[in-house]
Amino acid sequence: MNINVHHVTRVEGHGNIVVDTKNGEIKECRFEVVEAPRFFEAFVRGRPYYELSHITSRICGICSVGHATASLRATEKALGVEPSEQTVLLRKLNFHGEMIDSHVLHTYYLVAPDFLGVGSVIPLAATHRPVVERALKIKKLSGDLCALIGGRHTHPCAMAVGGFTHLPTEAELRDMRARFVDARTDMDETVALFATLPWPEFERETEYVSLKKDDEYAYIDGTVVTSDGFSYPIEDYRKVTNEECVSFSTAKWTHHNRDSYMVGALARLNNNFDQLHPRAMEAAAKLGLKPIVTNPFLNSAAQVVEMVHCIEDGIEIIDELLTRGVQPEEPPAVDLKAGEGAGSCDVPRGILFHNYVYDEGGRCVSANCIIPTNQNMANLNADMKELVPQIMDKPQDEIRLMLEMLVRAYDPCISCSAHFLTVEFV
Amino acid sequence: MSEWREANGESSDSPFAVLVIGLGNPLRGDDGVGPRVVQELHRRGLPEGVTALDVGTGGLDLLRVLEGRKHVVLVDAADVGREPGQFVRFRPDQARLVFAGDRLSLHHAGLGEVLALADALGRALPEMVIFGVQPAEVAWGEGLSPAVEATLPILIDAVLEEINSKQRATSDE
Repeated sequence: MNINVHHVTRVEGHGNIVVDTKNGEIKECRFEVVEAPRFFEAFVRGRPYYELSHITSRICGICSVGHATASLRATEKALGVEPSEQTVLLRKLNFHGEMIDSHVLHTYYLVAPDFLGVGSVIPLAATHRPVVERALKIKKLSGDLCALIGGRHTHPCAMAVGGFTHLPTEAELRDMRARFVDARTDMDETVALFATLPWPEFERETEYVSLKKDDEYAYIDGTVVTSDGFSYPIEDYRKVTNEECVSFSTAKWTHHNRDSYMVGALARLNNNFDQLHPRAMEAAAKLGLKPIVTNPFLNSAAQVVEMVHCIEDGIEIIDELLTRGVQPEEPPAVDLKAGEGAGSCDVPRGILFHNYVYDEGGRCVSANCIIPTNQNMANLNADMKELVPQIMDKPQDEIRLMLEMLVRAYDPCISCSAHFLTVEFV
Repeated sequence: MSEWREANGESSDSPFAVLVIGLGNPLRGDDGVGPRVVQELHRRGLPEGVTALDVGTGGLDLLRVLEGRKHVVLVDAADVGREPGQFVRFRPDQARLVFAGDRLSLHHAGLGEVLALADALGRALPEMVIFGVQPAEVAWGEGLSPAVEATLPILIDAVLEEINSKQRATSDE
């Protein structure tokens, strides 16, 4: 058997699945990232501190808020800037908007067609119109939230070092709150839909890596923890990522305590389950998720749980902002000094690190960005190697679909890791 | 309200409102012709009631931009079977846009996919005219090819004439 999926579809970016077996033995089994490197770490060298979040936000059109937030945290730590409580709340809210936006896109547009027997969201609109209408409605809500807080849907222009250059009005927040409350019904229907999907049966335990905080389900800041019991301050992220180059991939691989680890919604759910909103926990129960979940296909189900969490937590954040009243704040003045800072956010696809060194004039001397898709590559390859022998007796088309679904379950954003994915049999 | 509308301080309620959309990636050679036309329109100054947006490669989000609009003029690089630099004016119902129904990646969702999705959902779309410009080359690199660059003045005049005729037709109603 020789499967060669040249550019897997319904993922972001370009990657290939290559499987070659002979007499029941695997000769080759790997996922290749064939995107050209993007050189963002080189673009930012020499640029002033206030440009970094805007440049690096362009790494990704789906998680631009995530990149901007991690970037701002790295810069703030390097320059000793402390964001206000209001800024922290607004950033969380903006982040929730992007989390919902990205998860609805992945679960509805990219994953659901596999289970509902259609090739993409377009024929899905013909066969399951209410499903697609719901997806568009949730996507509009999350996009509007990002525009309200960040200044526009994608690539937030209002997020700055230390604060925001534009603030929402209380009336706008109240309007958004009403729409979030209304979205509860959409979330219930989303959970009900995904609870009916026949997720492939496949278990492979691995090490799950995410952020962790004492007081909340962590998305921004905290410590880096692993399900194998390790914990590191964000500054020590390299002890977790241990990047290495592999010959067939332009995305670097990472490993920690084992040969590979997993990041993303499933890793967060496994590590921080008790901090989910009670309604999100109910959703997890309906979807059959109880930590430790070791089926990587269920990463998409974990994303559904996180959507519920972000809607509920979003309502609570808006309530807190309204109770406090939106204060007219300007981003604080920055005292320039040489320094280094590492920022981390757990973005839709998993834990993300930005690390910058600045000179005394506030210009970037060096930068390191480690994105989630890279960190998942070794684990995805390990899953493929374990899955293929289990399904080798199935028809080739079924094997190919299963492998594509596995790749998609990781929600890889290859565009960010290097960029396109295709699958083809030879 | 979409951030684009807010950013442009424009009212789409006016019966004269026309939206010009440029689609494409300026880093991919002639694929950037749509955004370039938008840029040139802004440089010249837009006629009253007209908004011009560079929607880049916004994919399915284009649906959001189209909804609620009355008149849209859209400029996109397209294989219209002509010589590089030549362009064709057409309405969506005059062409069968090829879309990647089964092989859709979101970075690749273009006008064809958006119109197919709107059709499948039974969404009402604005009255739309498309200028499809035949590219000489779509590959990594900034700037248009000499053939497409040379056609810009005629293309922009054609877009402005289209806007004019739409506004005239509206005022005659």
